[in-house]
Amino acid sequence: MSTTRRLMARSVRTLSPAIAGVIFIVLWEVLILIFDVQKFLLPAPSAIAEAFGSKWSTILQVSWVTIQAVLLGMLLGTGGGILVAYLVSKNESVSGPLLVIATALNCAPIIALAPIANNWFGLTSIISKASIAGLMVFFPVLVNCTRGLMLIQPLHRDVMTSYASSDNELVRYVRIPNALPYLFSALRLGASLSVIGVIVAEYFGGPVKALGVFIGYEAALSRFDSAWAGIIVASAMGLSLLGIVGLIERLTMPSARNSS
Amino acid sequence: MSAGWQKFWRGLTGKNMRALLLFAWGSAIIWELYKYLGRLFDDRIPLLGIGFPVRSSNVSMPHVWSILGAFFQKTNRASDEVLVTTLFGQAMVTLRVTIVGFTLGVVVGMLFAILLVTIPSLERALLPWVVASHTIPLVAIAPMVMIWGGRSGLPIWFPIAIIAAFLCFVPVTINALRGMKSPTNVRVELMRSYAARRHQRLMYLQLPSSLPHLFGGLKIAATASVVGALVGELSAGTGTGLGRTILNFTYYYMSGPEKLYATIIFSGLVGILFVKFISLIEYLACRKTQQGAKGRHT
Amino acid sequence: MMQESAQRAIEIDSVTKVFEAVGMEPVIAVQDVSISIEAGEFVALLGPSGCGKSTILRMIGDLTAPTRGEVRVHGKSARQAREDHDYGMVFQEAALFDWRTTARNIELPLKILGMDRSERAMRVQEMLELISLTDFANHYPWQLSGGMQQRVAIARALSVRPKLLLMDEPLGALDEMNREHLQNEFLDVWTKTRTTTVLVTHSISEAVFLANRIFIMSPRPGRVVKVIMSPLPYPRTAETRRDPQFFEVESEVREALHGVIRDKALDV
Repeated sequence: MSTTRRLMARSVRTLSPAIAGVIFIVLWEVLILIFDVQKFLLPAPSAIAEAFGSKWSTILQVSWVTIQAVLLGMLLGTGGGILVAYLVSKNESVSGPLLVIATALNCAPIIALAPIANNWFGLTSIISKASIAGLMVFFPVLVNCTRGLMLIQPLHRDVMTSYASSDNELVRYVRIPNALPYLFSALRLGASLSVIGVIVAEYFGGPVKALGVFIGYEAALSRFDSAWAGIIVASAMGLSLLGIVGLIERLTMPSARNSS
Repeated sequence: MSAGWQKFWRGLTGKNMRALLLFAWGSAIIWELYKYLGRLFDDRIPLLGIGFPVRSSNVSMPHVWSILGAFFQKTNRASDEVLVTTLFGQAMVTLRVTIVGFTLGVVVGMLFAILLVTIPSLERALLPWVVASHTIPLVAIAPMVMIWGGRSGLPIWFPIAIIAAFLCFVPVTINALRGMKSPTNVRVELMRSYAARRHQRLMYLQLPSSLPHLFGGLKIAATASVVGALVGELSAGTGTGLGRTILNFTYYYMSGPEKLYATIIFSGLVGILFVKFISLIEYLACRKTQQGAKGRHT
Repeated sequence: MMQESAQRAIEIDSVTKVFEAVGMEPVIAVQDVSISIEAGEFVALLGPSGCGKSTILRMIGDLTAPTRGEVRVHGKSARQAREDHDYGMVFQEAALFDWRTTARNIELPLKILGMDRSERAMRVQEMLELISLTDFANHYPWQLSGGMQQRVAIARALSVRPKLLLMDEPLGALDEMNREHLQNEFLDVWTKTRTTTVLVTHSISEAVFLANRIFIMSPRPGRVVKVIMSPLPYPRTAETRRDPQFFEVESEVREALHGVIRDKALDV
């Protein structure tokens, strides 16, 4: 194949998600037109774009409030998870039962705690939302990091022992690198969870200007084109967070083969 | 009893159970201690003057025994029904939605993964969108889905199951796909040497390879479907289910804060039990063939 | 099954295989190799790592295509032979399907072929007896040792009664004692079926013990440097390894192999 043909083939391949996206949007618009779907059933992409245009300053303001909660939640959850995992990994007899408890709690719908968080920290406080998101991130990070720190291959440990290395060196050179893939896998999950967590928590009651509140309000008024505009922004928020996690992952683990 | 069942019972009653009970007791003790110190120091750290993060009043933090007692109080003034009974009833509603949603999500997820593995160009084009769709907050879609559901003549709780299914199909698709692509080159070449047709390759190699990966992600999918069911209920306005109950008790907080706590704890337990049930099914299905480490993704 | 000697079992005609990699020099794995193999022969391709012997095997099996030249199997194209299920293949790793029992692993190609259930059951039973693993029919791969797994892989390859058996260093992963033992067993089985076999190996003793014709190959780019006929008669047993003639053939092969490596080293 000549170089130009090869280049073209490669660009189609990289761009295929974008192409698929465009096709989808066009199809959506056309189908709504053809079947004359009512606005309250499903708004057309053009209507959503219009709503976004007319309300963009509001959307920006509410998004800013929400994203602060999301980031704070991610930070708290990740930091807390890593810290506890590190402390626990030092003691085999503690980590076993703790892992069981954490895995069990990980299965609970943390989102149900949102009303309590609102009550404790106040509806408008950022902590009430960030704490829910933080909890949702905390458990996967804790479980994964503990596993990653503890499940090192016996062979690696034996190599380090043969070098008469200290415990700390074992941690630095074997346990932590081993735990990194586990950590990032949990972070990717956490990224989408924290956005969902904050938005749903806001639905239970939040500051007047918040994305979740905005979406809920617009939906309640059947203004679904604005609601969808808000949803898309929330989605974009989650995706950017995923992208940032992916970037950090690539920077700290350049030898990793793939990240899904 | 076979060795497998013995192991199961031991797991249920032994060290793990003790850990969980210890945790429950420990939490209750810490809770009451916090409240005691709060009453003692009027919610401020002595000498430093910094306020406690959470007010320790009985309204904000009911006593552990009031919360436990709430299970046996009347749900509301309208009927004589006790809270625990109501919660069970609502849990059945939520569980029905969750199970239907979970099953639907798994089936659709598998089918979608099969589609993507069969047509690699579709995988390149659509997988990023699948991952992206996981970030869409469903709270707002619920009313819309309800309207669609209402028009189509399906039972009113079905749209909520759709939301639960949506939340859980993404991890299923991603894990199943990864599994189907996991067979080593040798095995793929073996199938080629048998001149196996595409559907044979799918049936004999790709699908069985996908199962361990799928099961690795099934717990996440199960958790996600519970969340989807609860979130769907609270925003959909059907008036039933644990999600709705939580919302109601939030609105009527002042008339009985311990009821809200009780409901939330109950919902948490329901969620945990559902996921444990799914992992039990996993365990039973894989007993004979599953040896060695499970995948690294929780 | 000797009527097919009118067509050669395998005819490799001036075959060259070049691997192109993006941004790197193309690799000439095999250069201008011509080999013909008669039905019922046991042929070994012997040479150092990277000499292209596996590549030749894979071209016969239509797992990769030659860049130049032609491969014909039983008078057909390699692809047609593959689609006609003419051959069975054994790799260095047994590559059994972990979710299938021994019996069901052996059964797999038969199922793909479309054989009906009762026939499959009979054939599987036959194979299990051939490799003496009837007691392990319902075991899973993780319950079997490496040597046993490889026996199952061989049975799996033979289950379709192929006209041709292709083996790519099948015993390479096993320890010496296991290897010799399996070689004895395999020869036992082979003597009963006399399937045309092409074996890729880097073990001199293995090639001499099993094969009747040995192709010595040079390091990359792979070329056939010498062909050695082994006069040792079949059936061969463990005793054959102590035969002075065995030692002679081994020495001849070793000389040829070392010569090949020495020449290549001097080249550099």
